[in-house]
Amino acid sequence: MVEVIFIWIAAGLTLAIFSFLYKDNPFYKVAEHIYVGSAAAFWFLYLWFFDVEPKILGPFKEVFHKYGFSGMWAHFGAEQWILFIPIFLSICMLLRFIPPTAWLSRWAIAFTVGMAAGLGVTGALQGYIIPQTQATLLPLWTGNPLTSFNNLIIVIATLATLFYFFFSKEHKGVLGVFSRIGITFIMIAFGASFGYTVMARVSLLIGRIHFLLFEWLSSFFH
Amino acid sequence: MKKEVPLIITFISGFLLIVALFIPHEPFGSLQERFNDWYIIVSGFTLILGVDSLLLYHWRKIKTKDKDAPYSIILIITFITVLLWGIYSGVKHGNPFAPASTFLRYFYTYMFVPLQATMFALLAFFIASAAYRAFRARGLNATLLLVSAGLVMLGRVPKGEIVVPFFIAITLILIAIIFVLEAVARVSLYERLLYFALALISLIAIIPLSILLREYLPALADWIMNVPQLGAKRGLFIGIWLGAIAMAIRIILGIERTYLK
Amino acid sequence: MREFFERISKIDRRIIYLIVLVGVTIPLLTRKGFEFKPLPEVKNAYNFIENLPEGSNVLISIDYDAASMPELQPLLEVMLRHLFRNNLKVIMMGHWPLGLPLGQIALEKIAKEMDKKYGYDYVFLGYRPGIAAVMLNMGKEIRMVFDVDYKGVPLDSLPMMREVHNYDDIALLIGFEAGSVGDFWVQFAQARFGQKIILTSTAVVTPDLYPYYQAGQIVGLIGGLRGAADYEILVKRKGFAYTGMTAQTVIHVIIIALILLGNIGYFALRRMR
Repeated sequence: MVEVIFIWIAAGLTLAIFSFLYKDNPFYKVAEHIYVGSAAAFWFLYLWFFDVEPKILGPFKEVFHKYGFSGMWAHFGAEQWILFIPIFLSICMLLRFIPPTAWLSRWAIAFTVGMAAGLGVTGALQGYIIPQTQATLLPLWTGNPLTSFNNLIIVIATLATLFYFFFSKEHKGVLGVFSRIGITFIMIAFGASFGYTVMARVSLLIGRIHFLLFEWLSSFFH
Repeated sequence: MKKEVPLIITFISGFLLIVALFIPHEPFGSLQERFNDWYIIVSGFTLILGVDSLLLYHWRKIKTKDKDAPYSIILIITFITVLLWGIYSGVKHGNPFAPASTFLRYFYTYMFVPLQATMFALLAFFIASAAYRAFRARGLNATLLLVSAGLVMLGRVPKGEIVVPFFIAITLILIAIIFVLEAVARVSLYERLLYFALALISLIAIIPLSILLREYLPALADWIMNVPQLGAKRGLFIGIWLGAIAMAIRIILGIERTYLK
Repeated sequence: MREFFERISKIDRRIIYLIVLVGVTIPLLTRKGFEFKPLPEVKNAYNFIENLPEGSNVLISIDYDAASMPELQPLLEVMLRHLFRNNLKVIMMGHWPLGLPLGQIALEKIAKEMDKKYGYDYVFLGYRPGIAAVMLNMGKEIRMVFDVDYKGVPLDSLPMMREVHNYDDIALLIGFEAGSVGDFWVQFAQARFGQKIILTSTAVVTPDLYPYYQAGQIVGLIGGLRGAADYEILVKRKGFAYTGMTAQTVIHVIIIALILLGNIGYFALRRMR
């Protein structure tokens, strides 16, 4: 029974959002605000249940249960003490909400930005640029004319696209020819991406119509 | 102090990871893991950045009795209800998303999911309307984009090859009409003949093109995806990642400081 | 004449919306599917899973949310069924918190259907922030990131996890991708630790993943509803994706017809001016 009520709520919310297609209206606005409000609450739940509880409180649990809050401090090992560094940075992040100490949040942000930059450099270099360059070093004659042709196209497309984005020199002469070939391939690629994007969007609609037809409307017939 | 400390923190954390890639031995290896662990803890707190300004924005709307204040009240009530419901289910089952929790079974499944999914399903309508309105064969590049999109869209769905001859016929007949109109408008006999010939070629081309695509459209879509598309994307992304690396190094060295503002 | 071309180049958007709506609804009601052959990149993914020895661990990462549910959720269910049928063990986690519960829902549903036991045949780890950092540390020791499962149960008290420490103990990683997390999986788990990866993705990101497939950085690529339908054909269980592809064909034809119509109006009016 509860399930049926909630299927009706789900259908109501779905139709409320679809009503936007006719024009902006209060039903849509209500649904939109429910969505934003609940998403905001979700982030707090995630922060607590997947970060604070297991990563920050977890390591202290055992000592706390054994010795209580006042007694646990004397029994901390190196593992526990060292955790105070990220705890301090996390508190710094929260200090953003209090204007006089807001500047301290920069320490935390500096740490996350530095880490993201370091991770980005290593990942891109080791995981994309080097292996993808290696994969482009294809044999241009393989014995099979079709494979050879395809390999040649892959090599030309990769190089020409790269040349197209090479802005340090004016696109004239050989570079000009190459960059024009580049834009041709880029257009083909964007066309393919557009085709796939259409496919994706339509799939989402199929999903919603499927819900309305086979979960909501079919509940009338049970 | 306010500026130097963050710059030093950024430099140390970023530089350490790069060093650890090239020298994965001690102490860099375990230091990297330690830093990663801290990053996992601290970056969780970035999740809630922005939520405060969202709530504050709506709180102000309620206080100033804005005409949209009723919606803001709904947003804040939803926020509090969801938070409390989540905490209740979380305490009861160990996690709000445990299979037995009412939070997952009812709120998430029948309210949050339909809202988010439908919000994005609207895009199907918008993309259809936008494609009709804006997708014009204005020049060589735009035409190329259109043709590639059309071939992939029809080549990747079942039975697309059955309809493709119709589209080819319509397109080529239109091109032929344009050529004929062009020919009529010309004065010199030579140009007229040329345009008539082009119109004729367009009409004749319908038959072989239709037969070929009827047979090989899925294979052609495969080829587009696996050869020219792939090459261009690879070039594009090598460029993008090179740019990202340059940016990351600027950040690590403290040349780029906009994040401190 | 001119009026006619003006009309076909200025159809009201609501009429277009209606055409799209009807174009999706009617094929879904008929529930008919067209025959088609699975793509080679999907077949490779299927074969790789088929050839995994019984009892191997498969890590599944939920990196999408309800916004792309119709593309990935049915595929997730079909794949879980395939994995469990082959007696493979499933470890699930995710990087997209808003969608993580979708993975949980599918996992519980299929496990119940296939009579699989939590802690013995499958485990749900949950989520940790920090994407790339999570991936790197999991390469050393999963417990550094997830020392407990999503409910706070220590990993060592879950029988199937006792021998699982890092990527060496995971035969295959399947990433369900709606954004750039798939790139990170390849760049960190594959490039640094040699993890075998299959990416299943929404159609929006699929074209960008082809370079990984050609370079051998991933062993299979299952893209969009078409990829999901291919997989349904391969496991001989045609369902949502397979019948959905009929509606997909209809809408694609409608959209191309609309583009053509728009262009006819555009060229005719340009000539008349």
